[in-house]
Amino acid sequence: MIDMTDAGPLLEARRVFKGFFGNPVLKGVDIALRPGRVHAVLGENGAGKSTLINLLSGALAPDEGLIAIDGRPVSRLSPATARAAGIAVVQQELSLAGELSIAENIGLGAYPRRFGLIDYGALARGVREVCDLVGLTEPLDMPVADLALGRRQMVEIAKALFRKPRVLILDEPTSSLSAHEAGVLGRVIATLRDRGVAILYISHRLNEVQALCSHVTVLKDGGVTADRSLAGIDGEGLVRLMVGRETGELFPPRRQGQAGRMRLDVEGFSAGLVRHARLVGRAGEIVGLGGLVGQGQEDLLLGLYGAIPAKADRAEIDGRSGLPANVAAANAAGMVYVPADRKHEGLVLPHSMASNILLPSLGRLARGGLRDRRAEAGLVADLARQLMIKGDVARPVQALSGGNQQKVALAKWLPLDPGVLLLNDPTRGVDIETKREIYLMLRRFAAEGRLVILASSDTPELVNLCDRVLVLREGQVAAELSGPSITEAAIVGAAMGVEQGTGPGRRAVQ
Amino acid sequence: MMRVKAILRNPPLLTFLLVALVWLVAGLSLRGFGAYGHLRYLLELAAVIGIAAAGQTLVVLMGGIDLSVGAVITVTAILLPLLSPAWDPTGLVGVALVLAIAIGIGLLNGAGATFLKVPPIIMTLAMATFLQGMLVLVAGGSAVTVQNPAVLLLGQSRPLGIPAGVVLWVLVSIGMLLLIHRMPIGARFLALGANPLAARLSGVSTTRNTLILYALSGFFAGLAGLLLLGMNRQGYVGIGDPYLLTSIAAVVLGGTSILGGRGTYAGTIPGAILLVTTTALITVVNASPGWRSIMFGTLILALLMISGREARR
Repeated sequence: MIDMTDAGPLLEARRVFKGFFGNPVLKGVDIALRPGRVHAVLGENGAGKSTLINLLSGALAPDEGLIAIDGRPVSRLSPATARAAGIAVVQQELSLAGELSIAENIGLGAYPRRFGLIDYGALARGVREVCDLVGLTEPLDMPVADLALGRRQMVEIAKALFRKPRVLILDEPTSSLSAHEAGVLGRVIATLRDRGVAILYISHRLNEVQALCSHVTVLKDGGVTADRSLAGIDGEGLVRLMVGRETGELFPPRRQGQAGRMRLDVEGFSAGLVRHARLVGRAGEIVGLGGLVGQGQEDLLLGLYGAIPAKADRAEIDGRSGLPANVAAANAAGMVYVPADRKHEGLVLPHSMASNILLPSLGRLARGGLRDRRAEAGLVADLARQLMIKGDVARPVQALSGGNQQKVALAKWLPLDPGVLLLNDPTRGVDIETKREIYLMLRRFAAEGRLVILASSDTPELVNLCDRVLVLREGQVAAELSGPSITEAAIVGAAMGVEQGTGPGRRAVQ
Repeated sequence: MMRVKAILRNPPLLTFLLVALVWLVAGLSLRGFGAYGHLRYLLELAAVIGIAAAGQTLVVLMGGIDLSVGAVITVTAILLPLLSPAWDPTGLVGVALVLAIAIGIGLLNGAGATFLKVPPIIMTLAMATFLQGMLVLVAGGSAVTVQNPAVLLLGQSRPLGIPAGVVLWVLVSIGMLLLIHRMPIGARFLALGANPLAARLSGVSTTRNTLILYALSGFFAGLAGLLLLGMNRQGYVGIGDPYLLTSIAAVVLGGTSILGGRGTYAGTIPGAILLVTTTALITVVNASPGWRSIMFGTLILALLMISGREARR
């Protein structure tokens, strides 16, 4: 291997800032991608990794700071100029056209032309070459929709290679790959590195990072907390770099109360991704669901809520046995759900705040078949005051701020006096002040004897609010933590499959 | 200026004003237009459209569409004379039977949309085609004459000088406005139309409400069919065809969003009146039927530009 890492960076970001709607996401981040080096970016969910990729590939422009290619600052990097400069990105969400063939997808946007027409012969030759490289043996005229997810991911990678990139950015490329495919990808990456390509590698799988990468940048809360060589650092060391921040007084003090009667007791529960989960919750508890994004947390909540098909060997919810057959049955059993995507799932955006709040309780407020306007107005005013929702109750909720929208999504359930609250990332995209208010509310719900099940992508939230935390990995409960053993390191470690404090020689590091 | 803006933002009111303006101008410039008898006749025609469009309004509010409205009208108009038993002097048994059939057709539409997940536009279109084929088999292409006293009373009598059909339309309108604005189910229809997923996660049953919705649409189309039959005294294959497009046009002219989730029957009422007025004005102009159709289509588009424009979301 030729050592080219001393050469100047091919692509770099210098002190870039980026925020969305007043929420800073990146706060002065530096990163330099050098030829012949595989550079890892680590960080928890929401640390700013995706935003950084978008800046480097020209999909977004930084608010401050600059992007430089070959040491020369580029004033306005567009996706087209980035492509022309040899920057290729393999996104986490696949960007393939299912109806088109493997060859057409790989060549899309860079078709070789002859007399103004697509030169399918030349296309096939070029495509064959990259397909051989990544081990795609399927017929090239096969529609991509017929491929399994992992194979599609390989097509995506081949598509990036087809453009002969100088800089290759891979955003969690192995999340849908089999072990064999991941191995092939590892060899491809090593080959490209030896040819002098600069590679940015994002993954939650620490063993891959250690096997493939030689340098790491750690992002936390939009800042860089480490920019160093990976030599002499182990898995736990990486986890420590990613967590470890002061929590401040964002969270209300823990109340030492006795957990009450059993509200939820489910055994052998399967729904969507989730397989054979065991879940219990008592009145007055806040039970957290942690893990990387998309490990079954949402399926678990939706399955309990009767919104997706689910089955369980045994289920008891507030004294009733069996899982609810549908949402109405779940509501009747005193179970309510606040979705993560409030704009699409939680709220009817064009309708007024009042309509949204009233939707679940329309039936019980009606008298003689007609709606009782006075009772409705009273209820809405009461809830708006109680939850400190700012804004006109007659205006569409889409005019409200994210924080107030989230409060509306919560408020509409309170008239039902729910015994079990299923909350899916209730503080995502919410300003810090509303976060504090929501945390207080969750504590109050628990103190009132309700059971709160809180799925969260924000690890500090789990650590500071929950009495118990279940960490999910690939649909299984990978760890159950309670009391003092709930730490960020334990949650992140369990989410990534790093054994904490076990194995020889590990205990000393803690 | 503020008031003008408020009117422009209120489609039902805007459509009402448009109707008033057209009636005023036509009444002053065309002899006979403003006569009480003529205006009464226009309202009588509008009642059929308005009642057929009642169900359509609900379906569109919930984000669907019912293309079987015309076929259901034809079905009721042809089946009523055949199903009215001779031993019933009131004719109400036949009316009840036919309305039950109309509701049944609506339930089938709803079942296809909610259980089989067939898009409403396909489900109701297939239903319309199916019904038309069945009618040809049953009626054999000949017209049937109505003897049913209840239906004749509905189509021909004028208590206090007001046509019974218009009275029925007023009752339907009151019921519709109550249902949409004062009953829980109206709010549920609107929520399902604006965001089905959020509504479902809020405990609103898609299945139940879809079934009720299409049953209501079938019921109102059946009611319109009975009124039309009573006014016409005869039922024949194709009698309901013109009411498919007009029922949709009346809904959209009234400012109800074709995408669902926003609108009211208060707009459909002037929408229906505006449609018959337009037809009447075109009839006055001495033109061949081909040109009349072209003018009608053009005018509907022009009217939509003014009153029923889809607000940007």
